[in-house]
Amino acid sequence: MILALSGTSNGRLAAQGFERLAARTGTDMDELIHHAEGRRVVFDDARHGPTPVGSSPEWSGKEAADRRYSPFTINVEHDKPWHTLTGRQHFYLDHDWMHEFGEALPVYRPPLDMGRLFGEPRIGPTGQREVVVRYLTPHSKWSIHSEYQDNLLMQTLSRGGPTIWMSVADAEAIEAADNDWVEAVNRNGVVAARLVVSHRMPTGTVYMHHAQERTIDVPKTETTGRRGGIHNSLTRLLVKPTHLIGGYAQFTYAFNYLGPTGNQRDEVTVVRKRTTEVRY
Amino acid sequence: MVQQRRDPARPGVPRTYEDQERWKGGWVRRPDGRLVPRAGGRIKRLATIFANPVMPSIQDYYEPWTYDYETLTNAPLGDDFPVASPRSALTGKPMRVSWSANWDDDLGGGPELASQDPIVRRLGDKVKLSFEETFMFYLPRICEHCLNPTCVAACPSGALYKRVEDGIVLVDQDRCRGWRMCVTACPYKKIYFNHRTGKAEKCTFCYPRVEVGMPTICSETCVGRLRYLGVVLYDADRVGEAAAVEDERDLYEAQLDVFLDPADPAVRAAARRDGVPDRWVESADRSPILALAKRFRVALPLHPEFRTMPMVWYVPPLSPVVDALTRTGHDGEEADHLFGAIDALRIPIEYLAELFTAGDTAPVDLVLRRLAAMRSYMRRINLGQERDESIAEAVGMTGAEIEDMYRLLALARYDERYVVPTAFGVDEADKGVIEEVGCSLDFDGGPGMGGMGDVPFGEASGRPDAATVETFHALRDRQTSEGGPEGSATDGRVNLLNWDGNGRPGGLFPPRRGGGTDDGGGRGADPGPPEGGRP
Ligand code: SF4
Ligand code: SF4
Repeated sequence: MILALSGTSNGRLAAQGFERLAARTGTDMDELIHHAEGRRVVFDDARHGPTPVGSSPEWSGKEAADRRYSPFTINVEHDKPWHTLTGRQHFYLDHDWMHEFGEALPVYRPPLDMGRLFGEPRIGPTGQREVVVRYLTPHSKWSIHSEYQDNLLMQTLSRGGPTIWMSVADAEAIEAADNDWVEAVNRNGVVAARLVVSHRMPTGTVYMHHAQERTIDVPKTETTGRRGGIHNSLTRLLVKPTHLIGGYAQFTYAFNYLGPTGNQRDEVTVVRKRTTEVRY
Repeated sequence: MVQQRRDPARPGVPRTYEDQERWKGGWVRRPDGRLVPRAGGRIKRLATIFANPVMPSIQDYYEPWTYDYETLTNAPLGDDFPVASPRSALTGKPMRVSWSANWDDDLGGGPELASQDPIVRRLGDKVKLSFEETFMFYLPRICEHCLNPTCVAACPSGALYKRVEDGIVLVDQDRCRGWRMCVTACPYKKIYFNHRTGKAEKCTFCYPRVEVGMPTICSETCVGRLRYLGVVLYDADRVGEAAAVEDERDLYEAQLDVFLDPADPAVRAAARRDGVPDRWVESADRSPILALAKRFRVALPLHPEFRTMPMVWYVPPLSPVVDALTRTGHDGEEADHLFGAIDALRIPIEYLAELFTAGDTAPVDLVLRRLAAMRSYMRRINLGQERDESIAEAVGMTGAEIEDMYRLLALARYDERYVVPTAFGVDEADKGVIEEVGCSLDFDGGPGMGGMGDVPFGEASGRPDAATVETFHALRDRQTSEGGPEGSATDGRVNLLNWDGNGRPGGLFPPRRGGGTDDGGGRGADPGPPEGGRP
């Protein structure tokens, strides 16, 4: 079904799409149309092994026997305009609100001052056995959200429960070693996890990988006595006016195409070593 | 600059497995030039047969665990949602997970663990374990299907054998008496002991697939498209001599010398005389392995100094060099910059050399230069500039060769990555018999692809069944047929990893309450608590 609906596997659709695209852009798409004709990938092909697909107007990149997919190659090689106000790739965002915020061109914005704004402590050791750190929640290399990472095999291939990655210096500051239980606490919530100490982490920043399983190996916290939360227990959505620009060229909402930036990831937390016994 | 390697296929491999002073794997060359297993010759092995002193313990691997999943559904109503906490798969008791199959993945554990890496120890202070100077790469490892396997030599029961027809190294489950000499002998620690069956188990190179011309599962499913499979013809009579060359740094060249050129008419004639089918010689001629190892010389053997003549070869990563360059703001695709950086970044190159060439940095240098040259050469083409032969010449290649190498490494088309001829002695007459159907670990209760048995992973496996005997056609039909897999699911369970999307095999869905024929509840589809996992 999906194979029939996607131009990458149903060449007739791709050819039709490219014809229409060519009519709209007035540029030469013959090569793409020609390659698409006659291509048909069915479920049976996929069952026999990995099956290459072809270029399609749903995507921006070209794909063929003599090349691998790379994004925007249709735009570059066939003069298809980018989906922007000018039809080009550009850094300049000509919108009144962007001007007002001084963000019409890319600018460096330091991380939000969570201390000033929300009363969080300052980054760095506090003198107690705790450290204030930037808290990032990246996707892991093993999974899309909770998919794959929480089954028994994958748990065995990692550390068997939720973890927070921390630099060697920060771990020293809280006198915690690799695999010690820690708690991360801020105004939004509490997370209990085991520490992964690594020289791969910069001092002052910790990771807690996205969507680790909340039903596996999450103890009650020392801080509240209640069950520890997940990575998002410490974050909260923050919206600023420029996120609300809509109906204006590339700022127009489209599904899976435009959304606010992930600035709720710009967060800080206190991390301390757990001192009492772990209870579930 | 620090070189760190993470070894995601270390799963189940004891810590510091490369330290043969400790683990006694592989061969040593005696002063008279003869090779003996490091764990000792026949007499020593017989003397220690009942208490093999260098057997890794379960703690050297890791203590397997599961979770009390039952709590999730049975816990009484409370203020907090229930969680499944870890239970030892050995004792069933609550446990604190403190080591796993891949504990130090992605440099987890920091300098404390990284400094235990045998290669880091060998390179000493030069390796700095700090954030600014860290990089890493992954090294997937399987059994090397060695030309001179110590595992085979060490087995007192003759249960381990290397198949003459395709070189796959297997354990005969009927002959294995559980002496475990092979576990010690394999320097790559790629033989595992199954405590439930009392037999040794290892990678089978997916031989039932390979026999019908299909790639191994690990190759076919590699999303990086970076695994290659092909035939390499070699001179079996010269293996012993090559594995015994005096200087361990000569082992790489010596092994390359044993590989035969299938285009050579003398080799073709000899192959025909020895009954090697023509399609195997033709396959060997198109072999991506031979191309990467010998023609382009960009693939290197892993730890040749173990003297087993390993046959899984690696293209070392250029990324440490490119990363370091781009970090300092340089163009990581410009040939001169890259060549300069390869000269400057000695530590990662020494580390790679310890992995692939017994410490000799020259072959690693050459590989990295060739990869660097490929980047620069191909970029010019991509940008519509003229081809620059001088880039290719600088690394002793021609532009056409670089383009061939690019095709193999970067386009990496399916039929060029895997050039697997159908089984020897089977196809011609279509009357041969294939020993076994399906995954060879797939016996009753075994850990194979058909199910996990009662408890996850190897220690769960039961007694092996006699192998099913089917003909080549039957197997091929099964592997490629339209029909559903009815009857192939073991014990009413179905492993979704193994399901080909056909039909609705029994065990796919859990049984209806109060009846139904399949009793479901298997691993794979339903992670219910295994027997050993209850407190
Ligand atoms: S890598 Fe494989 S073939 Fe080589 S010694 Fe070990 S088990 Fe045997
Ligand atoms: S699938 Fe391929 S790219 Fe992924 S870990 Fe395995 S070998 Fe590496």
